Amino acid sequence: MNEFDRQPWIDDARALLDESAQAIDAATLSRLNRARQAALAQRRPRRRAAWWLPAAGLACSGALLLAIVAWAPLRPTHPVDAAPGSGAAVLSAETDAVAGDDSFEFYQDLEFYAWLDAQEQDSDG
Amino acid sequence: MTTIASTLPRDLPTPASTADRANVATTSDSTLDRFLKAIERRALRMAELATGNREEALDLVQDAMFGFVRHYAEKPAPEWTPLFYRVLDNRLNDWHRRRRVRVRWIDAFVRDGETDTDALAQVPDPADPGPLLRLAGTQAARALDSALTELPLRQRQAFLLRVWEGFDVATTAASMRCSEGSVKTHLSRALAALRRRLEAYQ
Repeated sequence: MNEFDRQPWIDDARALLDESAQAIDAATLSRLNRARQAALAQRRPRRRAAWWLPAAGLACSGALLLAIVAWAPLRPTHPVDAAPGSGAAVLSAETDAVAGDDSFEFYQDLEFYAWLDAQEQDSDG
Repeated sequence: MTTIASTLPRDLPTPASTADRANVATTSDSTLDRFLKAIERRALRMAELATGNREEALDLVQDAMFGFVRHYAEKPAPEWTPLFYRVLDNRLNDWHRRRRVRVRWIDAFVRDGETDTDALAQVPDPADPGPLLRLAGTQAARALDSALTELPLRQRQAFLLRVWEGFDVATTAASMRCSEGSVKTHLSRALAALRRRLEAYQ
């Protein structure tokens, strides 16, 4: 037994304190309940931080870039379905003419080739 | 005497072995919930006696619950009660420190402003019995509440933990983070002060 347990007023004090703790109103108990639930909520497993999202994004971007690089050279250079005389066909022909040195020389010597062709036809005839 | 230990559900884990400790490491929320539910009323009363204000007391108890769950939930259940009161005691000490600083600043500001407002009037009256015991109504309860509120923080904590909670000297010292000698001194002074205040009601 503690030295203070021999003092009768101590028991009264305990009883009064117990009574006051039991007399807490419902609204306060409700707030205590919310506080308790909030405290416990921090133990529940939260969604892990999405640390992998930037890495996944980077990988997807890299894969997309590779696919574009690998696929682009396989595309036909000339638009197949461009109608003759259409703007697209003319543009394509002009682009080819400017793009290739051989083609450019061919067009420069076009008159020579025409003369050569005529000579060959004459000799055949 | 009713203590938290006696009000706790009987199926709370009482680990003694390593295996038990492993079980405690995965303490379920429901076990922890029951513990906090059993202790929250007393904790609120202690905080209310320390602050003289219900709202402040609720904030402090909620802070203590958060701190306890964060740091000590995985400890063995028999250690929970003193650990919870240690967290609460820390919060109460912090609150008193902040209040002292606030009162000092308010006092300095008021002097500079040469107004007639009394800064100390803004501080809760320690002799005010508080809303709880005003409702409880009995004169003895009111007197006890006032007497406890007027005690210095450490004396009041020593009294409440030793006498109301039923802790032994060592557990009280651990909860208050002081020596056992200090607990005895605080308790002795608290008992003397309370006896003087309450002798009219004996």
